[in-house]
Amino acid sequence: MTPTPPDSHDDNALRPHTYDGIQEFDKRLPNWWLFTLYITIVFWVGYWGYYEWFRAGPDGPKEVTAAMAQIEAARLASAPATDDASLWKMSQNAVFVEAGRATYVATCVSCHHEKLTGGIGPNLVDQLWIHGGRPTEILAVIDKGVLAKGMPPWGPVIGPKKAAEVAAFILSFHREGEPIQKQDAWVPIVPVPK
Amino acid sequence: MSDRKITLEFNDKVVRQFLLASLIWGAVGMLVGVLIAAQLNFWRLNLDLPWLTFGRLRPLHTNAVIFALVGNMMFAGVYYSTQRLVKARLASDFLSALHFWGWQAIIVAAAITLPLGFSRGKEYAELIWPINIAVALIWVVFAVNFFWTLAKRREPSLYVAIWFYIATIVTVAMLYIVNHLSLPTSLTHSYPIFAGVQDALVQWWYGHNAVAFFLTTPILGIMYYFLPKAAERPVYSYRLSVIHFWSLVFVYIWAGPHHLLNTALPGWLQTLGMTFSLMLWAPSWGGMLNGLLTLRGAWHKLRTDPVLKFFAAAVTFYGMATFEGPLLSIKSVSALAHYTDWIIGHVHAGALGWNGFMAAGMIYWLLPRLWNKPLHSTALANLHFWLGTVGILLYVAAMWTSGITQGVMLNGTTEKGTVLAYPNFIDTLNAIRLMMLMRVAGGALYFVGWLLMAWNLWQTVRGAQPVNGTIEVFDEEPAAAHEADGKLTLLGAIFNPPVLFSILGTGFACAWMFGGHLLSIAGLVGLLACVVLAYAHFESRGKSWAGWYERLLVNSLPFTVLTFIAVAAGGLIQIIPTVVAHKGATVEDRRQIPYTPLELAGRDLYVSEGCYNCHSQMIRTLVPDVLRYGDYSRLGESIYDHPYQWGSKRTGPDLARIGGKYPHVWHLRHFEDPRSISADSNMPNYPWLLQRDTDLAALPRKISAQRTLGVPYPPWTDLEIVTRASDQARAIAQDLRAAGAYIAPEKEVIALIAYLQSLGKYEPVAARPGASAQ
Repeated sequence: MTPTPPDSHDDNALRPHTYDGIQEFDKRLPNWWLFTLYITIVFWVGYWGYYEWFRAGPDGPKEVTAAMAQIEAARLASAPATDDASLWKMSQNAVFVEAGRATYVATCVSCHHEKLTGGIGPNLVDQLWIHGGRPTEILAVIDKGVLAKGMPPWGPVIGPKKAAEVAAFILSFHREGEPIQKQDAWVPIVPVPK
Repeated sequence: MSDRKITLEFNDKVVRQFLLASLIWGAVGMLVGVLIAAQLNFWRLNLDLPWLTFGRLRPLHTNAVIFALVGNMMFAGVYYSTQRLVKARLASDFLSALHFWGWQAIIVAAAITLPLGFSRGKEYAELIWPINIAVALIWVVFAVNFFWTLAKRREPSLYVAIWFYIATIVTVAMLYIVNHLSLPTSLTHSYPIFAGVQDALVQWWYGHNAVAFFLTTPILGIMYYFLPKAAERPVYSYRLSVIHFWSLVFVYIWAGPHHLLNTALPGWLQTLGMTFSLMLWAPSWGGMLNGLLTLRGAWHKLRTDPVLKFFAAAVTFYGMATFEGPLLSIKSVSALAHYTDWIIGHVHAGALGWNGFMAAGMIYWLLPRLWNKPLHSTALANLHFWLGTVGILLYVAAMWTSGITQGVMLNGTTEKGTVLAYPNFIDTLNAIRLMMLMRVAGGALYFVGWLLMAWNLWQTVRGAQPVNGTIEVFDEEPAAAHEADGKLTLLGAIFNPPVLFSILGTGFACAWMFGGHLLSIAGLVGLLACVVLAYAHFESRGKSWAGWYERLLVNSLPFTVLTFIAVAAGGLIQIIPTVVAHKGATVEDRRQIPYTPLELAGRDLYVSEGCYNCHSQMIRTLVPDVLRYGDYSRLGESIYDHPYQWGSKRTGPDLARIGGKYPHVWHLRHFEDPRSISADSNMPNYPWLLQRDTDLAALPRKISAQRTLGVPYPPWTDLEIVTRASDQARAIAQDLRAAGAYIAPEKEVIALIAYLQSLGKYEPVAARPGASAQ
């Protein structure tokens, strides 16, 4: 297992045989090289023992499940007030609206158009609403999505703060008390292929 | 024994042929590489042409560089050096010619079929099954030609270069055959017999060891011949050769799972992959040391000799890449680096630095000898060296920066770790555009250097007379006569201290790793005892170990058998339990729902277009992955995927749970023009998907093949299969029409949308394995 020479060894002697004129020394293996080899072998024994034998190390699936539960709890704890009244108030606050605009431009324009007039997804500035037009209903659609219609749940991706900001941004195009009309479905606007 | 001397002429014609082929195909492979690198920044370079899109050209680039550039270079080097090291002409001129022309025919076939979209959908194993058979046959021709030459050798003892060649031939045959086992459905299409996690494991057992035994061991052999020749210095250490050869071939095979860290691959395999990758560090550096330290006393020659410059730089890049490899195999490093450009940078340090520079050094050394004329211009060769070096450094530095930047952005969170810092994937793409441009520049510089070599070669050989090497040998019975004094039977090869201690040690190590509690402890104790005993035995009887090894070196068959045992062990221990344990009927937690006929047709298009080159389908057990793409992927969720499509690079986002996320019309518009959905996307347009018809007629054969492979399809008739497919296609087309998009149901894009919308669908499985088996 160890290549240390068994007896005194002349490091500068050439081996007797040559191959097509190629000669070979038979020098000792560098100690640091041997040490690297041994230490990685010892590490393997230890790492295997720690993770697979004692099962003391973190386990991927369990770890990520626990971490996601914590994230969920933290989000619930830090979620901004999301009743209709506070969302209307947020929609009149420039800080919230501007933050919401930034998220909207990065995340929502591809389906709802930069002017919010709709594309693949519905228009957000008219008074027609498919899933309800109350602030909390709008926020719920952003947060949980409508998978059957192709609206992804954005809550897990952008988090509750940004979701509320986006709702505030959309609401900034509306007035409290304006009529809310029920719409059955949205017919996507598909641009004519170039 | 007669003492009459005869003159033996080597077959150097085939060496010249392979050398030229390596140079020409290498240029083609690099040109394609520069093009696809540019496509990543400038999507218009895909030209809206199916056969010029990134997904189809990237396999052409990788296959050309591996099998055409390095393959041909390897054959040239192996044939040139072997004939001289064993003092025998290649056994058969016919086999040599068949090897050369057969290999070139395979390359031409690959260069035609890959852009046409014929693909098996597994990296570096994309070629379709008839070409696979041709590769296997030509490899056998190579093996026969090589071992027959060994049998006729006049030099009884095998030099270290030959050890590496033997390991290459045996191992590549094993890897290639197992990873290409397929069930054909037509002349151009087949399904791999493994699926999901099994296919992933077999693929990276192959993929990782293709790097080991196609790109590393033969080139190490070539280094051991050409480097001491060029430096005119003795090899640094024979015992280092022995130790690093055997540890390298044994350890390499186990490390494949490091390509699958943090995925749905069972944890014990991930642990093996990571720890064996770390243990590979020293054996790899053994090769580097023997190369660099051989140059001791010859460093001054580097100033004048471009050959040594290339060799010294190549070995240095080899050392760099084989340090980086173990580093990237650490699970937490992999969490950041995997799926990013860092990996691309890593492989190019190896491909451009190690393989490309070894090829260049060897070619510059061989040219004057094969054509009996001095090199046309040493200055040009030096310029090639510097262009190449700067090119590699630019490329690798750009990819490190890009990979770490994108990795950090993708994994970054804000608001106390509860929200992604960059939820929009495109932001992370825009952040690395400059680096991707730098990579194009680096690659282009390297390519220009290569063209300089081609020009230099042309100027050298133009009008020169090719010469074949000769050697004076005694006219006597070759090989067999010599083996008599050191004859070693197969039993003698195995029943001797070094081999027995190794086998015992491996057995104890396996008992420790895989045994139950008592067996496991016994294994650990046995392993320690084995090490101590072996050490004691070596201390007292070390000479007998050395003597035995010298005898092994004059017995090529026992040597080959021992090499095969060493390389086969790791694969057997990893693959067999996985293939036996993880079947659709026995998975826990979740099980994939088999694709409908139309979804299957769409999946075949996904494979054919090479979507896996940019999109993964594997959400790792990492918080940022789960935040971005949804719940982590379970092993059972791809259990019917022939081939698996977990992917290895995320140029675009993961697709494992894309199904149902967006409406059909989103996908339609996105295929037509990705930028209409996501402004800065670098994905090619796929207009032909909206024009071509799906091949529904092939579905009955495909589903029958899937059934044979164990996918639980109901006993549909052919008509039912086609009807189901067209019904589903009509439903999707109707939905699209309701959304204002008019597209005929038979178009390919409909099938592809059906497939994408099915991704992430599963059925829950009771916790007890097999409880709800079909």
